[in-house]
Amino acid sequence: MTTMTLTREAAVRAPRRMAGFWPTSPALMLLTVFFVAPVLGLLLRSVLEPQPGLQNYVEVFGSTTYLRVFVNTFVVATIVTVVTLMLAFPVAWFLAVAPRRWASLLFAVILLSMWTNLLTRTYAWMVLLQRTGIINKTLMGWGLIASPLPLINNLTGVTVGMTYIMLPFMVLPLQSTIRSLDPATFRAASLCGANRLQVFTRVFLPLAVPGIGAGVLMVFVMSLGYFVTPALLGGTSNMMLAELIAQLVQSLLNWGLAGAAALILLVVSLGIYAVQFRFFGFKAAGEVE
Amino acid sequence: MLLDFNRLGGLRVALSAIAFLVGAFLLLPIVVIVLLSFGSSRYLQFPPPAWTLRWYEELFDNPDWLASFATSFEIAVVVAVAATLLGLMASFGLARGRFPGKEALRALFLTPMVMPVVVLAVALYAFFLRLQLNGTFVGFVIAHTIIALPFAIISISNALEGFDKSIEDAAVLCGASPLEAKLRVTLPAIRSGLFGAAIFSFLASWDEVVVAIFMASPDLQTLPVRIFSTLQQDLSPVIAAVSSILVALTVLLMAVAAIFRRGKPA
Amino acid sequence: MTRPFLSIRNIEKTYGRVVAVQDVSLDIAQGEFVTFLGPSGSGKSTTLYAIAGFLQPTRGDVLLGGKSLLSVPSNKRNIGMVFQRYTLFPHLSVADNVAFPLRVRRQPKAEIDAKVAAMLKLVRLETMADRMPAQMSGGQQQRVALARALAYDPPILLMDEPLSALDKKLREEIQIEIKRIHNETGVTILYVTHDQEEALRLSDRIALFNAGRIEQLGTGHDLYEKPASRFVAGFIGNSNFLHGKLSRSDRSITLPDGTAIQGVALDKVGPGQGDVSIMIRPDHFRLHNGEAAPRLVGTVTDTTYLGEYTQLTVLTAWGGALSVRLPPDDRASPVEKGQSIALTCAPLDVRAF
Repeated sequence: MTTMTLTREAAVRAPRRMAGFWPTSPALMLLTVFFVAPVLGLLLRSVLEPQPGLQNYVEVFGSTTYLRVFVNTFVVATIVTVVTLMLAFPVAWFLAVAPRRWASLLFAVILLSMWTNLLTRTYAWMVLLQRTGIINKTLMGWGLIASPLPLINNLTGVTVGMTYIMLPFMVLPLQSTIRSLDPATFRAASLCGANRLQVFTRVFLPLAVPGIGAGVLMVFVMSLGYFVTPALLGGTSNMMLAELIAQLVQSLLNWGLAGAAALILLVVSLGIYAVQFRFFGFKAAGEVE
Repeated sequence: MLLDFNRLGGLRVALSAIAFLVGAFLLLPIVVIVLLSFGSSRYLQFPPPAWTLRWYEELFDNPDWLASFATSFEIAVVVAVAATLLGLMASFGLARGRFPGKEALRALFLTPMVMPVVVLAVALYAFFLRLQLNGTFVGFVIAHTIIALPFAIISISNALEGFDKSIEDAAVLCGASPLEAKLRVTLPAIRSGLFGAAIFSFLASWDEVVVAIFMASPDLQTLPVRIFSTLQQDLSPVIAAVSSILVALTVLLMAVAAIFRRGKPA
Repeated sequence: MTRPFLSIRNIEKTYGRVVAVQDVSLDIAQGEFVTFLGPSGSGKSTTLYAIAGFLQPTRGDVLLGGKSLLSVPSNKRNIGMVFQRYTLFPHLSVADNVAFPLRVRRQPKAEIDAKVAAMLKLVRLETMADRMPAQMSGGQQQRVALARALAYDPPILLMDEPLSALDKKLREEIQIEIKRIHNETGVTILYVTHDQEEALRLSDRIALFNAGRIEQLGTGHDLYEKPASRFVAGFIGNSNFLHGKLSRSDRSITLPDGTAIQGVALDKVGPGQGDVSIMIRPDHFRLHNGEAAPRLVGTVTDTTYLGEYTQLTVLTAWGGALSVRLPPDDRASPVEKGQSIALTCAPLDVRAF
C-alpha cells in the first residue's frame, strides 16, 4: 500500500515541474534555431570581425559619419513621435466621445490606412510629394509658391510619410484609454470647483498617461528602427540607422560594423520596451490589432 | 463634461475639425492612388487628363508581376497555417502551463514583433547564406512565420484566457478524452481567436518587405519586393494599379472581418 | 449501511507545505444526498475535485463500489458534475449540450434523441432545446448543466456551489428542483456549498469542513443541536458564546456574574480544563418564571419585533451582549428597551467546549 502510494506520487510529481511546457516546444525550437541563434551570431560578428576586439565599436562611436546617423535617427524619431501625438490625441478623444456613426466611420478610415500595404502608402506619398506632384502643383496653381518645394528625399518627406504610418499606432492605445475613463470622475472634479482647463490638465491628462505612454514609446521605438519609408522618402544626407545597417551589409559587406550598429539599435529598442513593460505591463505591446 | 460630446462647446468644433482633417490626411493618398491607376498620364498628372485601363493591362500582361502575386499568396497561406498551429500550441502552454521561466518564454515569443525588423532581416540573411536558404520558398516561410508568430500567439492567447477552463473540464467529465475535449469544445469556442490569428499571420507575411528585400532572389520575389525594387527606379503607374488591387483586397478583408464580428454572439 | 457505495479514505492533499486537505474520510450510501459545507479554503472543493479526478490526492484513496477510482482518468470515471461557473459549451445548442456525453460514448442516434428529450423534461426545459447558451439566464443554464450531467446516468453527481452565482429567490427555486430531481432519479449527490441554509435544506447528511478537515459529519439536526466543537456551533446557526469556569466537584459552570448552571453535558470538555466556553442559541432563552433553573439578569439595550419572534440584545452584568429571540407567547408582556429582565434556559440546550 505504501509503495503503491509512493509510485503514484512519483508519477504525478515528475511531469509537474514542467507541467504544460511541451506544447510550447515546437515554437521554441523554431525561434531558437532561426531567431535567437542568427541574431546572436550577428551580434557576435561585431566583436569577431575582421579580427577579435572592440574596433567596430570604436569606429561606430568615433566617426562623425556614423554619429550623424545616430543623431539623425533620434531627431526623426522624436519629431515623428511628437507630431503623431499632437494629431492623435484629439483624434482619439473624438473617437471616444463622438456620436457612434462618425466615430466608427473615422475608425474605419484609420483601420483602412493601417491595413493597406506599407509600400502602397509609401508610394502614394512619393507620388504626392514629388517635384511635379499634386501638392506642389496645387500650391503653384494657387500662386502660393513660385517654384516647387523640395518635399521629398529630405526630412520633410520622411516626417510626413512616417507620421502617416505611425498615426494608427498612437491613436489605438490612446482611444482605448480615453474610452475607459469614467465620466463621473470628470463630473466630480467640476463639482469640486475645477474649471474646464483644470479638469483637463489635472484629471484628463493624468488619467490618459498610460495610453500616451504606450503610444509614445511604441511609435518612438518603431520609428528608430524603420527601414522602408526612410529609404524611399528620405535623402542620402539624412540616413537613418536601419538604412545604415542595410547598406553596410548589402553594399559594403562590412558584417562587423553592421553587427555593432544592430546591437546598438537592439539595445536601445528593447531597453525602451523593458522600461515600458515595467511601467505599463505587456498590454501596450499587444495593442497592435 | 469633457467626455460628453454635446457639452464640449467650442471644443466640439475644434475636435471635429481636427478629426476631419486627420481622416482626410489618412484617406487622401489612398484615394489619389486609386484614381491615378485609372489615369492616362505616365507621369501621374492629377487630375488625370483622361481615363484608361492601360496600367492594369500592362500589369496583367507581365508574367513577373503575376508570379509575384502568386508567390506572396502561397507563402502567406503556408505562413498563416504554420503560425496558427505553432501559436495554438504555444498559447496552450502559456495559458495553462505551470513551469519555471514561463514569463520569459512569453517575452521571447513576442520579441520578433517589437524588435527592429532590419536586425532580424540582416541576421537571418547571414544565417541563410550558410544554409543556402536565401531566395527559397522554405526560407521565406521560416522568416515570415517568425514574424507572424507573435500576432498569432496574442490573438489565440486572448481567446484562450477568455475561455473558462471549467468548460473543458466539464467535457472531460462528460466522457470526452482530454484531446477530444479540446477538439470538440475548446477549439470551436475560441474559433474567433484562431480566425484572427490566421488573418493577422497572413497579413504579416503578405505585407512583409524588409526581410523579403534581403532574401529575395531574381527568381523568387514577393509582391512587396517587386514593388520596392520598381519604386527605386521610377514611380510607374503600374504600381498604382498594383496598389489599387491591394487596397481593394484590404477593403474586402475588412468587410469580411466586420461581417464575422457581427455574426458572433456578443 | 452494508457496504458503503462511495468511500473516501484518508484523503490528503498538499501543495508544497500548504495542506489543503488533511485526512478526510467519509462513507456515502447509494442514493444519499451529502453536502460538504464550510468556509472558503476549508478543503471541501479540493475533496470534490479529487473525486472528480481533476487533482490527484497526495495520500489516501477514493473507492466507488469497492474499486479505487484514483487510477481511472476523469473521462472514464463516469461521474456527473455541475460546476460553480456556467460551463455549457458555448457553440452548441441546449439539446447538443445534453447530447454531448452520449455522442462521445458513441450511442445510437435514436437513443440519444430519446434521452435528451427525457432529460430536458426532467429539468423542465423541453421548449428550449434549440436555444444557445448565451440566450439563457444563469438559472436556466445551470438546469441544462444538470441535465447534461445526468444524461449518462452517472452513479454519482457532484455539484460544486452550482447556485452561488444566482440571486436568492432563483436559488431557492432551483434548490426545490434539485431536491425533486434527487427524489425522482435516486442519484447519489455530493454537493459543495458555503451556504448553511442551502445545506440544511437539501442534505441527508452534512460534512462540515474546517481547515482541511471534516469537523463534524451528521444530519442537519445533529450539527445544530449537538455541535461537536466550538467551530461547528459558531458556523451553524446563531449562537452566544459565554466564558465560564467549571467546578469539577459539583459539575457546575459559573458565569462571570456568579450565575451557576448545573447539569450541562461535559463530554466536549477536556480533562483538567478549568475555563470553558459555553454556547447558548438565541432561541433557547426563555423569560425567567420564578423557578430554580439558572437565572441570568441583564438590561435590554435593543428590541426588534420580527413577527415570528422578537429579537433582543441584552447587556449582562459583566458587560457582554447576548442575542436573544423570544417566541410569540412571550409577547403578551412586551419587553421594552432599558428594562431589566431575567432569562433562563434548559441546561440540556447549553453546550460547553
